[in-house]
Order: sequence, then structure tokens, then C-alpha cells
Amino acid sequence: MRPFALSYARPAVTPSSAAPYTYDAARQLNVLPDGRPATSSRAVLLATGTTASTAGSKTHFDD
Amino acid sequence: MTVLVLTCEEDLTADMVVTILHDRGVPLVRLDPADLPGRVALSADYAHHAFHGYLKADERMVSLRSLRSIWVRRPGTPGTRAEEQSAWLATEAEHALYGMLTCTPARWMNHPVAAAQARYKPWQLHLAQQSGFTIPPTLITTFPSDARQFATTHRDLVVKSVSGKHPSEPPMVLPTTRIGPDVDFTGVAASPTLLQRHIHKQADIRLTCVGGRLFAARKQADPDEVDSRFTQNAAWKPTEVPDTVRRSVAAYLRLAQLSYGAFDFAEDREGSWWFLECNQGGQFGFVQLDTDQPIAQAIATWLAEEPA
Repeated sequence: MRPFALSYARPAVTPSSAAPYTYDAARQLNVLPDGRPATSSRAVLLATGTTASTAGSKTHFDD
Repeated sequence: MTVLVLTCEEDLTADMVVTILHDRGVPLVRLDPADLPGRVALSADYAHHAFHGYLKADERMVSLRSLRSIWVRRPGTPGTRAEEQSAWLATEAEHALYGMLTCTPARWMNHPVAAAQARYKPWQLHLAQQSGFTIPPTLITTFPSDARQFATTHRDLVVKSVSGKHPSEPPMVLPTTRIGPDVDFTGVAASPTLLQRHIHKQADIRLTCVGGRLFAARKQADPDEVDSRFTQNAAWKPTEVPDTVRRSVAAYLRLAQLSYGAFDFAEDREGSWWFLECNQGGQFGFVQLDTDQPIAQAIATWLAEEPA
């Protein structure tokens, strides 16, 4: 029998592109290709959605 | 003294705080427990009535005695990036790491024991009642007959996940969903189901608490909107916290022993705030981006304080 709540589940949307930043272990934060911290770009923060409270991301769910 | 940040590498929200700590000259070590063993190593000895230990993350070493605070953000499961993974190894790594860290005098945001308890949403509702919040009538059950009775009484309901988690095989999302009283509740017997009276809200409230500091944000809701996480129709704006809510928040965090919590409320058409949940590790980046509230700064300040 299908759990009741799952009748209302829908497929998760996976990100369509790779994150435009990489982790810099020496600086202990993510950086853009030009070396600036990724958080310095509001556009990146908004575009990646990694700070959002939506529940689609494996590592960035509300907890 | 050093701040220890436990999170995954791709955690941009953690970066918001790390950047501030860097700017303030606060020493920090950031690591993902998933990298233990491997890029993360540890050692501790218990002898002569004393405890000494240290952590190594890449090229950084830190004595456990020198930790001033530990921020548990989005850590991976210990051991899960080891060359030869196993459930046994994950348990061994978890017990070693968190067992050692809880021996230190460092302040936690949040302590793992408090965090584990605080994740239980049924307990959140209980604690909310004890703290003086108003909560929507809620039923958690595996009895279809109880679900039908609840629906008959309250008519307009929502269903949501008990755990707050979403199905992963295959990846699915389970938004809080409005349901009518006449649906077939047979499937309630197949899994614990959380039903709640639907609150006709005019806004969502996200109240982020850092130590004793409160940052409240409000987002106007569409009349038909139920789960604002899945809509992008309005921006978050700063708002004031009613005194009654402020007192209840203080009580809740004290009882739960949390130094951080992100509360969700539904604001009804009379302006009353209905407690929905408290995420002990809730996101704050999206609020700060919209409102410019200095939440990351407040977290950095809390983490930078010396232990008592």
C-alpha cells in the first residue's frame, strides 16, 4: 500500500548546471574562477539557490 | 582560540560566516566529517586523569583544548568518503569524532544531542505548546479512522512529512499540501501521517534566532499558497516580533538547549502567528539576501566568543 503522504510527492528538480565556484581548501571557502569569494557575488548566491530554504538540494535542506 | 566549522565544501551559506571570521582575524578550521578518515584525521589520549586530543584537516592542526566553539552546519556523515566505506566505519568515525568533540569545553551551535532531539517534529509541537506558542490542531497517526475523524472535525487540512525529509529513491519533494475532507485515507495505514488544520495565512514568517538575537522576516502569501518554499512570488522583508512570541521563543530555545533555531510561522488574517516548526539548523542565507539582516554577522560574533 502506498503511504498516504506520497500521493502528494512530485519529482525533485535537479540543478541543470554545475556550480560556478570551487572550494579553496587554503582559504576554507568557495571561490569564483577569478579568485574572488563566491559569496561576493549576489548573482551567484541567488542563481545557485544554495542558500534557499527549498527542499530540493541534498546538502542544503532545512534541518 | 579556534572556531571549528563542520560542513560540506559546497556550503555557500557557511562561506558567508567564514568570510566574516576571516575579516575579524578569528582562527578557524573548516572540515567535512565525511573526510574522516583521509583528509581529516584525529587523535586523543585519555591518561593520567587528563584528556588531550587534536584534529587535522588537510594541512591544519588544531588542539581540541583550543576550540572556542563548534558550528555544526551541513556536515557529511563521518567515514562516507573513505576509500573502503562501510556502515561500521561510519559508526566508528562518528563516535570517535563527536565523542571527542563533546569532551571539549567549546560552545556548540548546536550540540549534537540537542540537535538530534530538536529534529523530531512531534517533539517540536509539544515543546511549542509548553512554550506558549499557538499551534494548529495536528494529528500524527497510522489509523485511517482517526484521520477521517480529524478531517470531519477540521475539514480543511494539510498533509506534510513527519520528519521533514523528502523521498530519495527516486528523488522526490513532498510539499506541504492542502487536502479536502473527503480524500481516501486508506494509505495512512502504510506510514505515519501528519495532518494539520490548514491556516489561512496572509504571510509566512521566518524567525531566525542566534543566541539571544532575533531576526524576523515576513513574506506576503498568495491566498491559495500553502508551501512558500516552492513559490517565488514575494520577497522577505524585516518585521517586528510580538512580545508574546519573543517570550515563547526564549522559552523554547531554553528548553531545547539550542543556541540557534529558525522558526516558521503562518500569519493568519488577524495577524496572529501560528507555530509550524523550528529548524535547529535552518537556512538563513535566503533571508539575509532579501532583508540585509546581519544574521551571518551575528553567527560569527556568537562563534567568536570565548568559552565561559
